[in-house]
Amino acid sequence: MTGPERSRRTGYGIEALNVWCGLAAITVPELFRGRGLDPSRIENLMMTRRSIGLPFEDPVTNAVNAARPVVDALSPQERARIEILVTSTESGVDYSKSVSSYVHKYLGLSRNCRMIEVKQACFGATAAVQTAVGYLASGVSPGAKALVIATDVAVVDEAAEYSEPAAGHGAAAVLLSDDPRVMAMDLGAFGNYSYETLDSARPSPRFDIADVDRSLFAYLDCLSNSFADYASRVEGADVSTTFDHLVMHTPFAGLVKAAHRKLMRESGRPAADLQEDFARRVTPSLRYPSTVGNLCSGSVYLALASLLDSGAVTEAGRVGIFSYGSGCSSEFFSGTVDEQSAATVSAMGIAAHLENRADLAFSEYTELLEENLKCLVPVQNRTIDSGRWEAVARRAGGRKEMLAFTGVKDYHRQYEWR
Amino acid sequence: MTLAPHPQRAATERLVREVVRSILPGVSEELIGGKRHLKDLGADSVDRVEIIGLLIERTGISTPMSEFSDVPDIEAMVDLLCREQQR
Repeated sequence: MTGPERSRRTGYGIEALNVWCGLAAITVPELFRGRGLDPSRIENLMMTRRSIGLPFEDPVTNAVNAARPVVDALSPQERARIEILVTSTESGVDYSKSVSSYVHKYLGLSRNCRMIEVKQACFGATAAVQTAVGYLASGVSPGAKALVIATDVAVVDEAAEYSEPAAGHGAAAVLLSDDPRVMAMDLGAFGNYSYETLDSARPSPRFDIADVDRSLFAYLDCLSNSFADYASRVEGADVSTTFDHLVMHTPFAGLVKAAHRKLMRESGRPAADLQEDFARRVTPSLRYPSTVGNLCSGSVYLALASLLDSGAVTEAGRVGIFSYGSGCSSEFFSGTVDEQSAATVSAMGIAAHLENRADLAFSEYTELLEENLKCLVPVQNRTIDSGRWEAVARRAGGRKEMLAFTGVKDYHRQYEWR
Repeated sequence: MTLAPHPQRAATERLVREVVRSILPGVSEELIGGKRHLKDLGADSVDRVEIIGLLIERTGISTPMSEFSDVPDIEAMVDLLCREQQR
């Protein structure tokens, strides 16, 4: 029996998209209450929940758990055409050995595969996606597929103050090919803006640093300038009229709202239109990020999944996408989507996955944080006491088989399917 | 004898007070200035983005927002706005 007939879209782009955002979460009001943060700040943060890793989850398990449904949906012949595997992460587990080497094993990909890990803060996945799409379109290996997985864990605690409730946990898997059922890229339509700055960074496996104003201002400068670069390459590009939907890197939804206002003001759009335009073109992309937190370089793909799963995409249209990573580098690019894109993403069951996460009490959260801060610290041997956290995991609904991190043996990370 | 502020500086200070109060309506005018940072007035990160964005727009300068990252207080912010308007 064959599956439902699919119309084949032309060009190159995203064939499949899925996210994994863990088994546990905490509501933002509960975290504010526990930390004694000012609840009036929640309004501008525009967040309701955030994902929290359990000690048997790490960047490898997140990546595999996000990508497995994408890979499982392929025939053996199609799977063998995944010729490039890229993991994008700022949560590396070794200075030399990449996350992708573990991911390749547990996804059962072909050994005739090029593997690499990239790091460019929250921009890494887009750098990989754009590079891979260019490779596919070059025609050097007709029919090839590339799998880009953005995967990260949070290592923030109360020192991060108001950034703590916006930190996320999880991965986004983006399968690229010449069968772009989710989004066909507008090849050649892109704009970049990048320069050196220290706005946020992870100088140690146990903590992040962030200069909030420097980071938000850099994000907003990059948005204006990368769109200007896009417009210089795309004749007639107008931020108000060219795109039916806008998707942006979402460290927290409140920043995207401010970013939209800035972009629209600069385009000369009347202030009276901003609210309606934001609700129509941007809000659908914010629902998932507002309940997950910042997925780092997966964030913009979580936002794209949110748009496509929102019911807002009912006909063919163009999406403008802004990707930003601290340090800093950015890109504005675009692609086309339609109702088939929405149906393809919807089949992944992301809404149920997010809804099913177990909500933690603040006391459980702080206990967990101590364990999670050890996740990336290099040690020769370690055993994960996952039994202690199984009770929490069992509270998550709709559990399916998942890859779990069991420990480290002579620096070799160990995993098992559960 | 105290020197009267330069007319442009006085106008910029007025504009800063107006913009800050448009985002933080509860803040009294006399607090908006001097060595206070916007954070001291209760501005969160989104409020600060809005305030700086509006000031750039209303003064008509083309200064990147990043130039405001190191501004230690409102007085220094007014200094920067004045310098950029004279360019």
